[in-house]
Amino acid sequence: MAFRPSLRRHLKIESTDLNLTPIMNLMVVMIPMLLSGSQFIKLGIIELNLPPAAGASAAGNQPTALPKEEQRSLDLTISITERGFYISSALTVLHGKDDVQTGIARAGGAGPTIPVNAGGEYDFAELSQKLLEVKQKAQGIFPDADAIVLQAEKDIKYQTLVDTMDAARVIEVDGKVIELFPRVALSAGVM
Amino acid sequence: MAFVPSKIKKHKSEMEVSLNLTSMMDMFTIILVFLIKNYSTEGQLITPSDYLHLPFSQIQKAPEKGLDVVVSKQILMVNNEPVAPMAEVVKNNPAIVEQGVIKPLRERLLHYSSQSKKMEVDYGIKFSGKVTIQGDKDLPYSELVKVIRTCGLSDYPNLRLVVYRKTD
Repeated sequence: MAFRPSLRRHLKIESTDLNLTPIMNLMVVMIPMLLSGSQFIKLGIIELNLPPAAGASAAGNQPTALPKEEQRSLDLTISITERGFYISSALTVLHGKDDVQTGIARAGGAGPTIPVNAGGEYDFAELSQKLLEVKQKAQGIFPDADAIVLQAEKDIKYQTLVDTMDAARVIEVDGKVIELFPRVALSAGVM
Repeated sequence: MAFVPSKIKKHKSEMEVSLNLTSMMDMFTIILVFLIKNYSTEGQLITPSDYLHLPFSQIQKAPEKGLDVVVSKQILMVNNEPVAPMAEVVKNNPAIVEQGVIKPLRERLLHYSSQSKKMEVDYGIKFSGKVTIQGDKDLPYSELVKVIRTCGLSDYPNLRLVVYRKTD
């Protein structure tokens, strides 16, 4: 007995559209919501930890400072002045190169270690370079080879200070990021 | 001469035209993914204004919460409440600045720190002594030092300088 051909052959296949309306509703609600909540400007923070105030209200719970073994520290300091950067440590002050063009010999630390360039702009790349040299020499010898103190003249702008911190924090050499002096402290310094 | 009616069109059944939403959906999906990626639950930390342009920095550290101290060109604010006009701070007005400490700021900070310390006792929320400083990029160093000194002497030694991150 032969099979009878299926009747379903004549069943019409209807093409149905996916009902996209609820998804569309979701999109329409979510996009404005996320758009209003998103941050397009990326913020960052620079940590700057002061030692807890010694003389102020916290003085009561000050433990007696342990007498530490006499240890030589680096005490690296950058002074930002209108003429340029002065780099100094507990041991020495780095002198700038003698100015060949004007013939002025910078003797006895008279000039900044890294002077501003002709346009009055600070040379942050040179500063990073110099600090890298210091870091390489100081690494392993001094316990505070990651700390630096910044001080500035009173009219130095906040942006310059932040740029100096950037220059002192890391340096990129041949695609490698080398950490310099991430522990920054400020000093009221030359006022 | 009259037109001869088209023989093809005559037999065409009337099709229902529906909007093709596929490409629109694609677009929306991409936008949605982008926005979710950019979304931050922290909310806006700062309100930019003409008198407050933060400096730019290469640092990649994400911001965190702390007591807000805003040092704009015009006014000094703590938690969005004005504390002192900057002009007086710059002039070292003896009624406001004493030995490099901004007195109204100190009072306000001590007020907040005592509140936080009370919270620490009552609810166990640890007082971190964190303060975020939003300073204008043209702020002179002498004024910045005054603010930092005041914070340090008023129970807030952990400073966070808020900056814009440079995007490379």
